[in-house]
Amino acid sequence: MKKTSAGIGQIWNWKITASCALILLAIGTLAISLGPIHLGFFDILKTLIGAHGLEGQDRTVLLDLRLPRALLAALVGAALATSGAVYQTVFRNPLADPYLLGAASGAGLGATIAITNSGGNIYGWLPIFSFVGATLAVMTSFFISGRFFAEPNTLLLSGIAVGSFATAVQTYLQQRHSNALRPVYNWILGELTVANWSIVSWSSIYILSSILVLVTVSKKLDGLLLSDEESFSLGIDPNRLRMIAVAAATLATATAVSASGLIGFVGIVVPHLVRGVTHRVTNRSLATIALVGASFLVLADLGARTILSPAELPIGVITAFVGAPFFLFVLRTRRVSHQ
Amino acid sequence: MIKVADLTVKMGGRSILNDINLEIPHGHWTCLVGPNGGGKTTFLKVLLGVREYSGSLQDNGVEVYRNHKRNVAFVPQSPEIPTGMTVAEYVALGRSKVDGWGNETAKSRQFIEEVLIQTQLYGMHQRHVAQLSGGEMQRALIARALAQEPQLILLDEPTSALDLHHQISVLNNIEDLKSRGVTVISTMHDITLAAMYAERIVVMHEGKTLLDGIASDVIHSAELRTAFDNRINVYTLDSGRPVIVASKDESKN
Repeated sequence: MKKTSAGIGQIWNWKITASCALILLAIGTLAISLGPIHLGFFDILKTLIGAHGLEGQDRTVLLDLRLPRALLAALVGAALATSGAVYQTVFRNPLADPYLLGAASGAGLGATIAITNSGGNIYGWLPIFSFVGATLAVMTSFFISGRFFAEPNTLLLSGIAVGSFATAVQTYLQQRHSNALRPVYNWILGELTVANWSIVSWSSIYILSSILVLVTVSKKLDGLLLSDEESFSLGIDPNRLRMIAVAAATLATATAVSASGLIGFVGIVVPHLVRGVTHRVTNRSLATIALVGASFLVLADLGARTILSPAELPIGVITAFVGAPFFLFVLRTRRVSHQ
Repeated sequence: MIKVADLTVKMGGRSILNDINLEIPHGHWTCLVGPNGGGKTTFLKVLLGVREYSGSLQDNGVEVYRNHKRNVAFVPQSPEIPTGMTVAEYVALGRSKVDGWGNETAKSRQFIEEVLIQTQLYGMHQRHVAQLSGGEMQRALIARALAQEPQLILLDEPTSALDLHHQISVLNNIEDLKSRGVTVISTMHDITLAAMYAERIVVMHEGKTLLDGIASDVIHSAELRTAFDNRINVYTLDSGRPVIVASKDESKN
């Protein structure tokens, strides 16, 4: 059998990652310049580098509204996409999403408790309660499953059980406090309207450090696609790696959920999109998945605030409305290319 | 030398392996044979270092449990097949131990190409592993093990799902590994093939080793017949090669 001149090639081409970083920059710039008030590219640049740029209302719109909102969208998008990809690898399940282990329902319950007990000042307590709710739910799933490291599916099932329980309590609370239905509903659909520098700063610490951990171990994550015996023979401690990966992905998800509510579909569509377009399943693409997730949500948020301007669409509607058909298109083309 | 002393493995209160004492020399092909449930696969996993045990199991004087310093390749009977991964990517995973995860050099990629050619997978290296036939998948597993450049390779029933042609092809690949100085330990249901390729055979039955020794001696032993409840017959071909077949008549006795 003869070799071709191309050989087997590299497993991952880092030029793809670099290109996605540039695309994110371009989309980010577009997002902060567009809106009811148009801001010029050079004015934005001058303002950001501290030179004499935008002033007055325009400056406020850029620095206090659009920039933190775009940054939060990028952080949340990166967190959800990366966590989704990692969960899919850890559980060897292409349908795994970041909310799998009860993070969404736990956060939902936490948010509902905050909304029903806040007496008006919802947003002060909501992120804290939903973060605690998400983290507690996932920890409970871990605690109940016990034998997680011997059988990842046990954790998955206990996550579903904990999620159902949290949802039941949440529904009970909503029934008791019908005035809370609308704010809870808005939160479930996901929203970035509350973005400010305070939320951006605390969420960036958790999300960026989680992503850093995940990207650091990303090359080894490919070993989790094999059986535990095979990955051990290739130099991996599968239990330890799974624990690190799930902990980091859960921290990123809990932070994303508490900062912006439940934004669906990003965690499934973005990893599959990157794998579909690049024809690579390796987790070396994790940094790229984070960048594409960030771009996807910045773009979705741009749509959410401009399509029905001055009204806003829930961002979850945009991610599903755009994401689902695009995802189906990728699935279809991938299947055809395989045949 | 791999030295096994008073080795016992328990799962859920039940003994899977019971007080095993054995010495397995390096540089040879040793085959574990015996009926299902005899503990062959568990013993392979113990040799890999992933199963807890009491007693002692030392490879060149080092206890093997959770020892990542050894370079041991493992070829499972039912591998986890990663969806969407190409054959080239799958085989490249074998370099992780040598190069570090995700750090293949150009030289390594060249080595992977050589391995793909050797296992007749080169033309299909861009295909997904999930699309491979049973024989091709087995070759992909062997190729990954070859890419690992192991000191020891453990194979669990490497030929069980293959037709005769592919059985020989895979066994030749393994023999080639052995000729490079790699120690081979495998389980195999087909004792005729085991006797044809392995130098040493260990008979395992109900978690114990009944006999270990040179293949030609073990084939004609009473212990082998005992392990299979006297339900086997051993014939010798004109070439002197032994053939082991199931015996319907003797099972009634």
